[in-house]
Amino acid sequence: MDQAHIEQLLDPVAISRAESLGLNARYIVEGYMAGEHKSPYRGFAIEFAQHREYTHGDDPRHLDWKVLGRTDRYYIKQYEQETNYVANILLDGSESMKYGSGKLTKLQYGKMMAACLAYLILHQRDAVALGLFDTTMRDYSPRSDSHATIHKLLTKLAAFEPKDQTNIATVLHDMARQIRRKGIVIVISDFFDDEQKVLEGIQHLRFGGNEVVVFHLMDPYELEFPFTGLVEFEGLEQVPKILTRPSEVRKSYLREVEAFRLRLRDGCEKNQCHYLLVNTAQPLHEVLSGYLAFRLRTTTR
Amino acid sequence: MSFLNPIMLAGLAAVSVPIIIHLLNRRKFQKVMWAAMRFLKISVEQNQRRMRIEDMILLALRCLLLMLLALALARPAILSNSTDVFGQSKVTGVIILDNSQSMGVSDGAMTRFDKARQAAEQALDSMPAGSASAVFLASDIVRGSIPEPTFDFNLARKIIREAPLTDRATDLFPAIEKAIDTLKGRLVIRKEIFLITDGQAAGWRQLTEIQNVLEKTRTEIKSHIILVGEHEEKNLGVSELRLASGLSPVKQPLRFEVKVSNYGKEERRDTRVSLSVDGEPPCDEFTVDALPAGATKSVSLFAKLRTEGFHSVTARIPEDRLPADDKRTVAVRAIKEVRVLLVDGEPGNEPRDGETFFLRHALVPVPSEFAEEYFVKSKTITGPEFSQARLDDYDAVVLANVADFSEATLKNIEQYLRRGGGLLIFPGGRVNVTFYNEQLLKRFNFLPAALGQLRGEADQDEKYTTLQEKDYTHPVVSIWNDPASGTLGSARFFRAFELKPAPATTPKAERGRKPKDEKPQEAGDPQIILKFADDTPAVMERTWGLGRVVLFSSTADNAWNDLPVRLAFVPLVHRALGSIVQRQDEGLNLRVGEKFARRVNMEFLDKDATVFKPRQTDAVRDLRRIEMGGGWPLLQYDHTDLSGIYEASVVDPPLALKFAAQPDPGESSMDELSQAQIKTLKDVANVIPWTPNLSLRGMVEKDRSGLEFWLPIVIAALLVGVVETFLAQWFSRSK
Repeated sequence: MDQAHIEQLLDPVAISRAESLGLNARYIVEGYMAGEHKSPYRGFAIEFAQHREYTHGDDPRHLDWKVLGRTDRYYIKQYEQETNYVANILLDGSESMKYGSGKLTKLQYGKMMAACLAYLILHQRDAVALGLFDTTMRDYSPRSDSHATIHKLLTKLAAFEPKDQTNIATVLHDMARQIRRKGIVIVISDFFDDEQKVLEGIQHLRFGGNEVVVFHLMDPYELEFPFTGLVEFEGLEQVPKILTRPSEVRKSYLREVEAFRLRLRDGCEKNQCHYLLVNTAQPLHEVLSGYLAFRLRTTTR
Repeated sequence: MSFLNPIMLAGLAAVSVPIIIHLLNRRKFQKVMWAAMRFLKISVEQNQRRMRIEDMILLALRCLLLMLLALALARPAILSNSTDVFGQSKVTGVIILDNSQSMGVSDGAMTRFDKARQAAEQALDSMPAGSASAVFLASDIVRGSIPEPTFDFNLARKIIREAPLTDRATDLFPAIEKAIDTLKGRLVIRKEIFLITDGQAAGWRQLTEIQNVLEKTRTEIKSHIILVGEHEEKNLGVSELRLASGLSPVKQPLRFEVKVSNYGKEERRDTRVSLSVDGEPPCDEFTVDALPAGATKSVSLFAKLRTEGFHSVTARIPEDRLPADDKRTVAVRAIKEVRVLLVDGEPGNEPRDGETFFLRHALVPVPSEFAEEYFVKSKTITGPEFSQARLDDYDAVVLANVADFSEATLKNIEQYLRRGGGLLIFPGGRVNVTFYNEQLLKRFNFLPAALGQLRGEADQDEKYTTLQEKDYTHPVVSIWNDPASGTLGSARFFRAFELKPAPATTPKAERGRKPKDEKPQEAGDPQIILKFADDTPAVMERTWGLGRVVLFSSTADNAWNDLPVRLAFVPLVHRALGSIVQRQDEGLNLRVGEKFARRVNMEFLDKDATVFKPRQTDAVRDLRRIEMGGGWPLLQYDHTDLSGIYEASVVDPPLALKFAAQPDPGESSMDELSQAQIKTLKDVANVIPWTPNLSLRGMVEKDRSGLEFWLPIVIAALLVGVVETFLAQWFSRSK
């Protein structure tokens, strides 16, 4: 994959139009850093956290000798994490992600989001693992903190084409089993699946001690359903076509969508995950900066 | 229930339109690849049933809307006599006003026609608002004063008030037929004919046809026959007036025959008949003692015409309730003198031996000292002199036993006849039969008959034939029908040519086919004037150009017959001469309604003639352009609705002539429709005897209820449209 593709993935606005707007993409990430002077991924840094009394079984390596010498008490020095966090970015690559009413499909948007996040994380010298899935994990890039990895990731993202339906739950369960180091799991998907099972998967990940961030991608048309006249809807994943006058079922459809979203959000909140509904019509930099600002507020508190 | 515009029912097929649109639309949709199918599926499943029902309702409403519109356009209507719920429906009517002569019968205060006009106005009043009516004036022709129904009743009233009474005969059938034709195609529910007449039987000659045609259209068209006028028992009329004298010379007593008829049911006594010339006081009169019911009496009255030219002669009886038939007028052209050229084919040595001896004396039957003043002037020449004679100086030329003549003379005769000259031909022993048959008949068609074989011998007096003694049909001899005039039957014919009538020149079927550029047909049909007792023709005539040719079968002297020594010879010759001289004036007297046409000289071509009608003020006049017709300038006038004298004149070059129109004597008859006939009419029409206090409205209104439904249907369609719009909005709102 050449540089152009990579630039495109990192370029939210021009992804479907031109390649020259790559600077803007960088601006989103870099601009953020320049403005805040703080990485939102503060937890990934090597940082002292607290002291704790030594108990049996603790590794004596972690004893704070200075405290022992001064006070004769056994304290163990705890760090947030010695190494960088591993961020697992899971991008839904099912066929339903192919839908897009505007310039971008949900998948393209998701790819950009994943690329930007990966770039951001790698920039902070944290490790990133990227998984593309549909019914199963289709493509998994193991974690790496090398800056060079970004090219590899971008290449993979750019080359990915969806093929199959979604089965998020299975993938999440697999992930939960595979992850040995606790980290952040970022799931980018439209979650057109059985939300109960999806929530179970998230719970499983949470159980493993991972932080889970859910980006729920929705196309503006999916959120507003603005169709008029007689329309035949052809399912991207489900086969039977539906011929109807959408204007007459809009309210009921929106009700269904809203209910689904609420169930998903409530489930996430129950599991203490961040749930963020992303309208793909919103510029990516708004979504990201908004979320990261929110995250900054909640984590520093 | 019926449909006034049933063809629109085909519009019901439009009901299929929404269905077709629906089906077509089902095939025309937008295709969308969609991810969020699960939500859509749920919502569609929730709404499917309801949407389908809503669709069906809308489809049904749209179909209903179109159906109603088609129905409204088809204009359904219901005719009902039982209910008056809907009120009266609009009427499209035809008012037929009888304006024939018999409508002039007066009851002392009002004529039948005045009443008819009142009745017609009442008929207009009886029509509900929004109705339309035509007005026809019917006599023996139908005149559409308002030919198509109009909504402008003020105009209709004006037309009715100003409708003229004519002196025409009556025939109501064409008027009824025309009225039915006018109404037939109209898209209205109520069609009515108001026939306002006096119920004179003469107008209902075609009663059966009238009944049939009314019966046929009875369901569609309602007819009201309004009979005005009371029963009239008495009527006298002048049923005929004609000039009985053969010629009409000035200052000579002319005999006019006047027939007076009693059309009433009782005898009339002491009826004074008078004759006047040019509207002056009566110059002769006669009182008929007794005139039984239904009888006709003939009266001879005499008048003198003082000046040369056109005169009107009027016969009158005292006016009764129908004044129009109490006088009758004829137009007569008085002539100053008649010049006759006698061509003697066998002059003989003494005057007495001449072929024309008897003729000369018969033409001027007065002593020689008075011959100068007598109106007939004759000149005798011999056969050879004939070719030098100027024929145009004479009104008539008599050829008596002339053998033959030159080509130039033939041409002269042709011109002479064309201009209105007359030819009297007597054959005899010298006649060149071949010349007569080949030249005069075959080539020029002058003769009314070919000369056939000679029958009988002249030099004996045992074997002879006689002339017919009765049944004289030709006007020249019709006076001998009256035995008082003497007889023709006593004359003996020892020798005569057989006359073989020439073929008729104007077969009716061919008339229309003649191309215009061809020479106009100049020879008229041959007519028999007089027959022998054995029914073979004795005297024949035919018109040629403006002139006339009379052919005898025997000699003019007493060589072959003894007619010249009989009393009847003088009047016969005079009448024959009269028929020649008055040939031009035959068209002066016509029936009311007939077209007047008279040839005039070339100098009058494209001039305007002013025509004054009888019984009108001088201000009322018509202008007629004199135009070419049949190769001759013709003065034509066809508005002869009134009886009496018409005067036509051209200022420069000066021309003044008179003609007269005479009414049909049948109109004088007071016979009315019988009760049985009225009863049969009642089967097909509403017969109303009219009296001035009658409420016509009440009589015609009672069965006028009925309704056209298009308005309620259109309103219903409108409502359906509103409901459809509302429901479509309501259904398509987001749910």
